[in-house]
Amino acid sequence: MTQNTQLLKGILEGCILEVISINPIYGYELSVKLQEYDLNVSEGSIYPVLLRLQKKKLIKGEVKKSPNGPNRKYYYLTEEGIKSLEDFKENWNKIRNQVDNLLNWEELE
Amino acid sequence: MKSKELIRLNNEKREKLTEENRKYYEKILIYIRVSLAKRELETEEILSELLDHLLDAQYKGKSAKEVFGDNPKEYADEIVRELPKINLKDTMSLLSSGLLVFIASALLFSGIGDLFIYFVVDLNVLTKEIFIGSLLLESILSIILATTLLYLIINFIKWSIFKNLKSITEFFILWISGMISVGLFMLIFWSIPNFGPTIKIHSYVMILFGVIIFIGLLINRIINKRKKDKIIE
Repeated sequence: MTQNTQLLKGILEGCILEVISINPIYGYELSVKLQEYDLNVSEGSIYPVLLRLQKKKLIKGEVKKSPNGPNRKYYYLTEEGIKSLEDFKENWNKIRNQVDNLLNWEELE
Repeated sequence: MKSKELIRLNNEKREKLTEENRKYYEKILIYIRVSLAKRELETEEILSELLDHLLDAQYKGKSAKEVFGDNPKEYADEIVRELPKINLKDTMSLLSSGLLVFIASALLFSGIGDLFIYFVVDLNVLTKEIFIGSLLLESILSIILATTLLYLIINFIKWSIFKNLKSITEFFILWISGMISVGLFMLIFWSIPNFGPTIKIHSYVMILFGVIIFIGLLINRIINKRKKDKIIE
Protein backbone atom coordinates (compact mmCIF):
# COMPACT_ATOMS: atom_id res chain seq x y z
CA MET A 1 0.00 0.00 0.00
CA THR A 2 2.68 2.50 1.05
CA GLN A 3 4.45 2.38 -2.28
CA ASN A 4 1.17 3.25 -3.94
CA THR A 5 0.26 6.14 -1.63
CA GLN A 6 2.63 8.75 -3.09
CA LEU A 7 1.41 8.00 -6.60
CA LEU A 8 -2.22 7.86 -5.52
CA LYS A 9 -1.95 11.17 -3.66
CA GLY A 10 -1.18 13.08 -6.83
CA ILE A 11 -3.83 11.24 -8.81
CA LEU A 12 -6.43 11.85 -6.12
CA GLU A 13 -5.59 15.56 -6.16
CA GLY A 14 -6.14 15.64 -9.91
CA CYS A 15 -9.42 13.75 -9.70
CA ILE A 16 -10.72 16.06 -6.99
CA LEU A 17 -9.79 19.12 -9.05
CA GLU A 18 -11.66 17.65 -12.00
CA VAL A 19 -14.81 16.95 -9.98
CA ILE A 20 -14.75 20.43 -8.45
CA SER A 21 -14.26 21.99 -11.88
CA ILE A 22 -17.61 20.58 -13.04
CA ASN A 23 -19.56 22.09 -10.18
CA PRO A 24 -18.78 23.73 -6.84
CA ILE A 25 -19.25 20.93 -4.36
CA TYR A 26 -19.02 20.16 -0.64
CA GLY A 27 -17.11 17.35 1.04
CA TYR A 28 -19.77 14.69 1.34
CA GLU A 29 -21.05 15.21 -2.21
CA LEU A 30 -17.49 15.02 -3.46
CA SER A 31 -16.88 11.67 -1.79
CA VAL A 32 -20.12 10.32 -3.27
CA LYS A 33 -19.08 11.50 -6.75
CA LEU A 34 -15.67 9.86 -6.44
CA GLN A 35 -17.29 6.60 -5.40
CA GLU A 36 -19.63 6.75 -8.38
CA TYR A 37 -16.51 6.44 -10.50
CA ASP A 38 -15.41 3.42 -8.43
CA LEU A 39 -12.44 5.35 -7.14
CA ASN A 40 -11.52 3.20 -4.20
CA VAL A 41 -10.54 5.76 -1.56
CA SER A 42 -11.83 5.93 1.98
CA GLU A 43 -14.27 8.84 2.34
CA GLY A 44 -12.27 10.64 4.99
CA SER A 45 -9.12 10.77 2.92
CA ILE A 46 -10.48 13.59 0.77
CA TYR A 47 -10.22 16.11 3.63
CA PRO A 48 -6.42 16.19 4.00
CA VAL A 49 -6.31 16.57 0.21
CA LEU A 50 -8.83 19.42 0.30
CA LEU A 51 -6.74 21.18 2.95
CA ARG A 52 -3.60 20.70 0.87
CA LEU A 53 -5.26 22.05 -2.26
CA GLN A 54 -6.45 25.10 -0.31
CA LYS A 55 -2.93 25.68 1.00
CA LYS A 56 -1.63 25.56 -2.57
CA LYS A 57 -4.41 28.04 -3.44
CA LEU A 58 -5.76 25.72 -6.15
CA ILE A 59 -9.23 25.68 -4.60
CA LYS A 60 -11.20 28.01 -2.37
CA GLY A 61 -13.86 27.13 0.16
CA GLU A 62 -16.91 29.20 0.86
CA VAL A 63 -19.44 28.47 3.56
CA LYS A 64 -22.95 28.77 2.19
CA LYS A 65 -26.16 28.84 4.11
CA SER A 66 -28.62 26.22 3.05
CA PRO A 67 -32.35 26.38 3.80
CA ASN A 68 -32.53 22.74 4.93
CA GLY A 69 -29.67 20.99 6.64
CA PRO A 70 -26.45 22.50 7.92
CA ASN A 71 -24.30 25.16 6.28
CA ARG A 72 -21.89 23.59 3.84
CA LYS A 73 -18.44 24.59 2.72
CA TYR A 74 -18.48 24.60 -1.08
CA TYR A 75 -15.22 24.35 -2.99
CA TYR A 76 -14.40 26.28 -6.14
CA LEU A 77 -11.38 26.13 -8.45
CA THR A 78 -9.19 29.21 -8.47
CA GLU A 79 -7.43 30.49 -11.60
CA GLU A 80 -4.36 28.58 -10.49
CA GLY A 81 -6.50 25.52 -9.89
CA ILE A 82 -7.81 25.60 -13.47
CA LYS A 83 -4.24 25.78 -14.75
CA SER A 84 -3.09 23.00 -12.45
CA LEU A 85 -5.93 20.78 -13.64
CA GLU A 86 -4.92 21.32 -17.27
CA ASP A 87 -1.34 20.39 -16.37
CA PHE A 88 -2.56 17.29 -14.59
CA LYS A 89 -4.60 16.15 -17.58
CA GLU A 90 -1.66 16.67 -19.91
CA ASN A 91 0.78 14.86 -17.61
CA TRP A 92 -1.67 12.06 -17.00
CA ASN A 93 -2.18 11.39 -20.70
CA LYS A 94 1.57 11.35 -21.25
CA ILE A 95 2.32 9.06 -18.34
CA ARG A 96 -0.57 6.76 -19.16
CA ASN A 97 0.66 6.29 -22.72
CA GLN A 98 4.23 5.77 -21.60
CA VAL A 99 3.29 3.25 -18.95
CA ASP A 100 0.90 1.45 -21.30
CA ASN A 101 3.65 1.18 -23.87
CA LEU A 102 6.07 -0.13 -21.33
CA LEU A 103 3.69 -2.69 -19.88
CA ASN A 104 2.60 -3.92 -23.30
CA TRP A 105 6.07 -4.25 -24.80
CA GLU A 106 5.42 -7.92 -25.61
CA GLU A 107 2.59 -7.06 -27.96
CA LEU A 108 4.63 -4.43 -29.70
CA GLU A 109 7.54 -6.64 -30.48
CA MET B 1 -18.58 32.39 10.37
CA LYS B 2 -16.47 32.90 13.46
CA SER B 3 -14.69 30.13 15.33
CA LYS B 4 -16.82 30.59 18.46
CA GLU B 5 -20.00 30.11 16.46
CA LEU B 6 -18.53 27.01 14.81
CA ILE B 7 -17.56 25.57 18.21
CA ARG B 8 -21.07 26.16 19.54
CA LEU B 9 -22.66 24.49 16.50
CA ASN B 10 -20.21 21.61 16.78
CA ASN B 11 -21.26 21.02 20.40
CA GLU B 12 -24.89 20.94 19.35
CA LYS B 13 -24.42 18.70 16.35
CA ARG B 14 -22.26 16.16 18.18
CA GLU B 15 -25.32 15.22 20.21
CA LYS B 16 -26.83 13.67 17.10
CA LEU B 17 -24.03 11.12 16.76
CA THR B 18 -24.39 7.57 17.98
CA GLU B 19 -22.37 6.66 21.07
CA GLU B 20 -19.73 4.80 19.06
CA ASN B 21 -19.36 7.49 16.40
CA ARG B 22 -19.27 10.25 18.99
CA LYS B 23 -16.42 8.58 20.87
CA TYR B 24 -14.42 8.17 17.68
CA TYR B 25 -15.08 11.71 16.49
CA GLU B 26 -14.32 13.34 19.84
CA LYS B 27 -10.91 11.70 19.96
CA ILE B 28 -10.05 13.25 16.61
CA LEU B 29 -11.54 16.56 17.73
CA ILE B 30 -9.48 16.83 20.93
CA TYR B 31 -6.31 15.69 19.20
CA ILE B 32 -6.67 18.30 16.46
CA ARG B 33 -7.69 21.10 18.84
CA VAL B 34 -4.74 20.66 21.21
CA SER B 35 -2.26 20.63 18.32
CA LEU B 36 -0.36 23.87 18.77
CA ALA B 37 0.09 26.79 16.43
CA LYS B 38 -2.70 25.96 13.99
CA ARG B 39 -5.03 28.69 12.81
CA GLU B 40 -8.23 28.51 14.84
CA LEU B 41 -10.78 29.34 12.15
CA GLU B 42 -9.40 26.79 9.70
CA THR B 43 -9.22 24.19 12.47
CA GLU B 44 -12.87 24.69 13.45
CA GLU B 45 -13.95 24.72 9.81
CA ILE B 46 -12.40 21.34 9.04
CA LEU B 47 -13.76 19.91 12.32
CA SER B 48 -17.26 20.98 11.37
CA GLU B 49 -16.83 19.58 7.85
CA LEU B 50 -15.74 16.23 9.28
CA LEU B 51 -18.71 16.25 11.65
CA ASP B 52 -21.21 17.10 8.90
CA HIS B 53 -19.75 14.34 6.77
CA LEU B 54 -19.97 11.84 9.60
CA LEU B 55 -23.60 12.80 10.25
CA ASP B 56 -24.45 12.29 6.58
CA ALA B 57 -22.64 8.95 6.58
CA GLN B 58 -24.30 7.87 9.82
CA TYR B 59 -27.66 8.62 8.24
CA LYS B 60 -26.71 6.20 5.47
CA GLY B 61 -25.82 3.57 8.08
CA LYS B 62 -22.04 3.97 8.02
CA SER B 63 -19.75 4.10 11.04
CA ALA B 64 -16.96 6.56 11.80
CA LYS B 65 -14.47 3.74 11.31
CA GLU B 66 -15.70 3.16 7.78
CA VAL B 67 -15.48 6.88 6.99
CA PHE B 68 -12.17 7.84 8.59
CA GLY B 69 -10.38 4.48 8.73
CA ASP B 70 -9.23 2.10 11.46
CA ASN B 71 -6.51 4.37 12.77
CA PRO B 72 -7.95 7.65 14.13
CA LYS B 73 -4.56 8.92 15.30
CA GLU B 74 -3.01 8.53 11.87
CA TYR B 75 -5.99 10.27 10.32
CA ALA B 76 -5.87 13.17 12.79
CA ASP B 77 -2.12 13.50 12.21
CA GLU B 78 -2.75 13.79 8.49
CA ILE B 79 -5.28 16.58 9.05
CA VAL B 80 -2.97 18.42 11.47
CA ARG B 81 -0.10 18.19 8.97
CA GLU B 82 -2.16 19.97 6.33
CA LEU B 83 -3.70 22.67 8.52
CA PRO B 84 -2.24 26.17 8.00
CA LYS B 85 0.03 27.37 10.78
CA ILE B 86 -0.57 30.65 12.59
CA ASN B 87 1.65 33.44 11.31
CA LEU B 88 4.55 35.07 13.15
CA LYS B 89 2.59 38.20 14.04
CA ASP B 90 -0.18 36.23 15.76
CA THR B 91 2.38 34.04 17.52
CA MET B 92 4.20 37.09 18.86
CA SER B 93 1.02 38.81 20.03
CA LEU B 94 -0.10 35.56 21.69
CA LEU B 95 3.25 35.18 23.46
CA SER B 96 3.50 38.80 24.54
CA SER B 97 -0.02 38.93 25.94
CA GLY B 98 0.73 35.67 27.77
CA LEU B 99 3.85 37.26 29.23
CA LEU B 100 1.95 40.40 30.26
CA VAL B 101 -0.77 38.34 31.97
CA PHE B 102 2.01 36.52 33.82
CA ILE B 103 3.62 39.80 34.98
CA ALA B 104 0.31 41.40 35.94
CA SER B 105 -0.80 38.35 37.95
CA ALA B 106 2.57 38.23 39.72
CA LEU B 107 2.24 41.91 40.67
CA LEU B 108 -1.36 41.53 41.85
CA PHE B 109 -0.77 38.36 43.86
CA SER B 110 2.36 39.71 45.45
CA GLY B 111 0.74 43.08 46.26
CA ILE B 112 -2.48 41.64 47.64
CA GLY B 113 -0.55 38.99 49.56
CA ASP B 114 1.56 41.64 51.24
CA LEU B 115 -1.52 43.70 52.09
CA PHE B 116 -3.15 40.63 53.58
CA ILE B 117 -0.12 39.82 55.71
CA TYR B 118 0.16 43.44 56.78
CA PHE B 119 -3.44 43.98 57.80
CA VAL B 120 -4.49 40.53 58.95
CA VAL B 121 -1.38 38.92 60.36
CA ASP B 122 0.23 42.23 61.17
CA LEU B 123 3.69 40.98 60.31
CA ASN B 124 5.00 42.78 57.28
CA VAL B 125 5.85 46.21 56.04
CA LEU B 126 4.07 47.60 53.00
CA THR B 127 7.24 48.61 51.19
CA LYS B 128 8.97 45.70 49.60
CA GLU B 129 12.63 45.54 48.72
CA ILE B 130 13.10 43.81 45.38
CA PHE B 131 16.41 42.42 44.13
CA ILE B 132 16.35 43.03 40.40
CA GLY B 133 18.88 40.28 39.61
CA SER B 134 16.97 37.60 41.49
CA LEU B 135 13.66 38.78 40.09
CA LEU B 136 14.90 38.56 36.49
CA LEU B 137 16.42 35.13 36.96
CA GLU B 138 13.30 33.85 38.72
CA SER B 139 11.05 35.19 35.97
CA ILE B 140 13.10 33.69 33.15
CA LEU B 141 13.32 30.31 34.85
CA SER B 142 9.61 30.18 35.63
CA ILE B 143 8.68 31.15 32.08
CA ILE B 144 10.91 28.37 30.74
CA LEU B 145 9.44 25.92 33.23
CA ALA B 146 5.86 26.94 32.46
CA THR B 147 6.42 26.59 28.70
CA THR B 148 8.02 23.19 29.13
CA LEU B 149 5.18 22.00 31.35
CA LEU B 150 2.56 23.22 28.88
CA TYR B 151 4.36 21.40 26.08
CA LEU B 152 4.56 18.19 28.13
CA ILE B 153 0.90 18.37 29.15
CA ILE B 154 -0.25 18.84 25.56
CA ASN B 155 1.85 15.92 24.42
CA PHE B 156 0.56 13.79 27.27
CA ILE B 157 -3.02 14.58 26.23
CA LYS B 158 -2.27 13.81 22.58
CA TRP B 159 -0.62 10.54 23.59
CA SER B 160 -3.31 9.46 26.03
CA ILE B 161 -6.35 10.15 23.79
CA PHE B 162 -5.85 7.01 21.74
CA LYS B 163 -4.50 4.85 24.57
CA ASN B 164 -7.76 4.17 26.45
CA LEU B 165 -6.06 4.62 29.81
CA LYS B 166 -8.15 3.96 32.88
CA SER B 167 -9.28 7.28 34.32
CA ILE B 168 -7.62 6.35 37.63
CA THR B 169 -4.27 5.88 35.91
CA GLU B 170 -4.69 9.13 34.03
CA PHE B 171 -5.65 10.99 37.21
CA PHE B 172 -2.67 9.53 39.04
CA ILE B 173 -0.21 10.55 36.32
CA LEU B 174 -1.62 14.09 36.23
CA TRP B 175 -1.62 14.34 40.02
CA ILE B 176 2.02 13.28 40.32
CA SER B 177 3.10 15.66 37.56
CA GLY B 178 1.08 18.45 39.20
CA MET B 179 2.93 17.91 42.49
CA ILE B 180 6.29 17.81 40.74
CA SER B 181 5.49 21.05 38.87
CA VAL B 182 4.53 22.92 42.04
CA GLY B 183 7.69 21.59 43.68
CA LEU B 184 9.84 22.81 40.80
CA PHE B 185 8.34 26.31 40.95
CA MET B 186 8.95 26.46 44.70
CA LEU B 187 12.50 25.25 44.19
CA ILE B 188 13.13 28.12 41.77
CA PHE B 189 11.90 30.74 44.21
CA TRP B 190 13.61 29.32 47.27
CA SER B 191 16.95 28.37 45.81
CA ILE B 192 17.79 31.65 44.11
CA PRO B 193 19.73 33.95 46.44
CA ASN B 194 19.20 37.71 46.61
CA PHE B 195 21.49 39.55 44.26
CA GLY B 196 21.64 42.59 42.04
CA PRO B 197 20.57 46.18 42.69
CA THR B 198 17.46 46.70 44.79
CA ILE B 199 14.43 48.89 44.39
CA LYS B 200 11.80 49.66 46.99
CA ILE B 201 8.23 49.35 45.88
CA HIS B 202 5.01 49.90 47.80
CA SER B 203 2.35 47.18 47.72
CA TYR B 204 -0.29 49.64 46.49
CA VAL B 205 1.98 50.58 43.59
CA MET B 206 2.36 46.90 42.63
CA ILE B 207 -1.39 46.39 42.67
CA LEU B 208 -1.89 49.57 40.67
CA PHE B 209 0.56 48.42 37.98
CA GLY B 210 -1.06 44.99 37.86
CA VAL B 211 -4.48 46.51 37.38
CA ILE B 212 -3.22 48.92 34.71
CA ILE B 213 -1.69 46.08 32.69
CA PHE B 214 -4.90 44.04 32.90
CA ILE B 215 -7.02 47.02 31.80
CA GLY B 216 -4.60 47.67 28.94
CA LEU B 217 -4.86 44.05 27.78
CA LEU B 218 -8.64 44.19 27.98
CA ILE B 219 -8.85 47.38 25.90
CA ASN B 220 -6.42 45.90 23.37
CA ARG B 221 -8.59 42.81 23.11
CA ILE B 222 -11.78 44.78 22.55
CA ILE B 223 -10.13 46.89 19.83
CA ASN B 224 -8.74 43.80 18.08
CA LYS B 225 -12.10 42.09 18.20
CA ARG B 226 -13.81 45.10 16.59
CA LYS B 227 -11.18 45.10 13.84
CA LYS B 228 -11.63 41.38 13.17
CA ASP B 229 -15.43 41.70 13.08
CA LYS B 230 -15.13 44.48 10.54
CA ILE B 231 -12.90 42.35 8.29
CA ILE B 232 -15.33 39.45 8.44
CA GLU B 233 -18.32 41.67 7.65
